[in-house]
Amino acid sequence: MIKVSHVQGETLQIDHVTKSYGSGATEVTAVRNVSLTVNPGEIVLIMGPSGSGKTTLLSMLGALLKPTEGTIQLNGTMISTLAENRLPDIRLKQFGFIFQDFNLLSALTALENVAIVAELAGTKSGVARRKAASILNELGLSERLNFPPEKLSGGEKQRVAIARALVNDPGLILADEPTANLDSKIGHEIMRLLRNIAKEQGRSVIIVSHDQRIKDIADRILWLEDGEFKETVTMAIDPVCGMAVEREKAVSAEWEGQVFYFCARGCRDEFLKEPKKFLLTASEESSKKT
Amino acid sequence: MIRLAFRNLFQNKARLVISVGGVALALLLILSLDAIFSGVERQVTAYVEHSGADIWVSQADVRNMHMASSSLPYSVARKVKYVPGVASVTPILYLTNNVVSGDERSLAYIIGLPENAEFGVPWSISSGSSLPGKGEVILNRNIAANSGVALGDEVEILGDEFKVTGFSEGTASLVNSVAFITMDDFEEMRGSYNTVSFLLVKVSAGESPEIVTDRIEAQVRDVTAQTKSDFAAQERQVIKDMSTDVITIMNLIGFLIGLAVMALTVYTSTLSRRREYGMLKALGARNSDLYVTVLAQAILSVILGFLFGLILTLLLTVVIPLFGSNLALEVSRASLFKVGSVSLVIATVSAMLPIRQIAGLDPAMVFRGR
Ligand SMILES: Nc1ncnc2c1ncn2[C@@H]1O[C@H](COP(=O)(O)OP(=O)(O)OP(=O)(O)O)[C@@H](O)[C@H]1O
Ligand SMILES: [Mg+2]
Repeated sequence: MIKVSHVQGETLQIDHVTKSYGSGATEVTAVRNVSLTVNPGEIVLIMGPSGSGKTTLLSMLGALLKPTEGTIQLNGTMISTLAENRLPDIRLKQFGFIFQDFNLLSALTALENVAIVAELAGTKSGVARRKAASILNELGLSERLNFPPEKLSGGEKQRVAIARALVNDPGLILADEPTANLDSKIGHEIMRLLRNIAKEQGRSVIIVSHDQRIKDIADRILWLEDGEFKETVTMAIDPVCGMAVEREKAVSAEWEGQVFYFCARGCRDEFLKEPKKFLLTASEESSKKT
Repeated sequence: MIRLAFRNLFQNKARLVISVGGVALALLLILSLDAIFSGVERQVTAYVEHSGADIWVSQADVRNMHMASSSLPYSVARKVKYVPGVASVTPILYLTNNVVSGDERSLAYIIGLPENAEFGVPWSISSGSSLPGKGEVILNRNIAANSGVALGDEVEILGDEFKVTGFSEGTASLVNSVAFITMDDFEEMRGSYNTVSFLLVKVSAGESPEIVTDRIEAQVRDVTAQTKSDFAAQERQVIKDMSTDVITIMNLIGFLIGLAVMALTVYTSTLSRRREYGMLKALGARNSDLYVTVLAQAILSVILGFLFGLILTLLLTVVIPLFGSNLALEVSRASLFKVGSVSLVIATVSAMLPIRQIAGLDPAMVFRGR
């Protein structure tokens, strides 16, 4: 478990965002009139076919790209109109980035890869190194601190990248295909980590992925097609069998003012017989999953 | 970021060797040429510095020995002797000519010394007599060894035969050496009498050479008097005047080679790390952070190049004399300062080339095609 303090949650809100590349005959609209609010501690998965605008959207969310139209707000600060020279600081302190191919600096050790980002944010070298070491230890890399990236396995590299994304305590983590280069066991480990980051530390996590398994940890799944959201799926856990189910398609039941979702009628019936029993297991179940 | 610069630099060993080696060789070119000319300056003034005289008196407006000739009537020596503050006067005769031994000839300052001369005599004798007698010459040891001349052999100067009776040390330079004969032989050989070339003056205890110099010029007509250090400085100036152009050209070449090597390696190194620098920008690094990294890399490799160049030059100063060469290299502080500054300019200019490259990196590229 990661014992980094629970961060102040951040709310990312995008309103009617459109991004076009080029102009005139060659103009391509990669993202079209998209609105989305990501709440603190929420895991949002963005899926969609190739060329649907996922990367473009993620880049705008991460203040790497300015929208052609529409606004992006982070905790009420309009970052889509902020001057270019204010953006590095926001990216450094409010966002954590995770990439498909890890993007570690090849000349630095695991520890230095994490520490350098803290130093960029103004942390003194000694403090930065201690902080980096402590996060890497928590991610199970205590034996790998002084390894160069080339000597690390894919899963270890991605954990170093996650440590790097966390070192400045950002409220938002943006991940682009974080499991695509990993085998399924390691991919699961990374997903578990991302879920911890959201659920235990209160950070929002936005993931772009083709990986169906990530659906299991997502709170919400957005389907992007031709630059537009086609379908929104909100995920819930069946308190009886522990399966991840899509709320919109699931059978549901209300109990003490709360709505529960089930994979099938059988589970619902069982739940309704003795709800308290399942509420306990449900919370145990979810912590087992994490 | 400095650590990153360090690590980046040492990660690519081949590039490091090329940049450090290239800069080292370029700076070696500048340093060793400077050292050669500093060495020559010291060698050329060796006779003046070791003459023991406080003041050199010459024909009016003659201010040095090299490529010059001075002629004073013998009577001037007496006049100078009577100037207050002058303790003693040693007249010498001087011309530049070849010492010939068989097929070997070497250029030398031929010095004619009066009997029992006190000043202007050989200051270090390796073997044989320390003053020339009639028909005798004292040669430089290295020059003699190089032309196979031993004690007791005969050499020819201006057509006259002289017997080698002593070897002196420290009297040879890249350009010439010093050969000592008697004043009588000198006059006879040249066929002119009652003139001298220079007067070597010793001032009385407690007198200032500067003041006595002024007195000599005021009281004796048609002479130039200079303190030993002024005279030596004039002598060095002659070498400087001759070497300036060569040094300037070689410095420029060294500078350009160093700059080209550095510019190329800094540029390719930045190019090869485009993706890493773009990623850093995406994470929130500013352009200035990246410039610092590139500049630090350039400065580090130039410092290493400078150290290697210096070590190589110092090695040359030790090794070259072992081969019996009359080339004496001397690394001067001025030269170190100059080469140090040149190095910094090379580092700064080469680090400025990729500035546009870095500024143009789009941080959004991290999420795009790989
Ligand atoms: N810099 C750019 N200039 C011009 N067009 C671009 C640029 N980046 C993306 N596009 C176009 O915008 C559209 C969306 O691209 P984007 O990379 O966001 O898709 P994606 O969903 O991430 O695709 P993939 O799953 O293949 O990564 C595509 O048609 C693409 O060609
Ligand atoms: Mg993409």
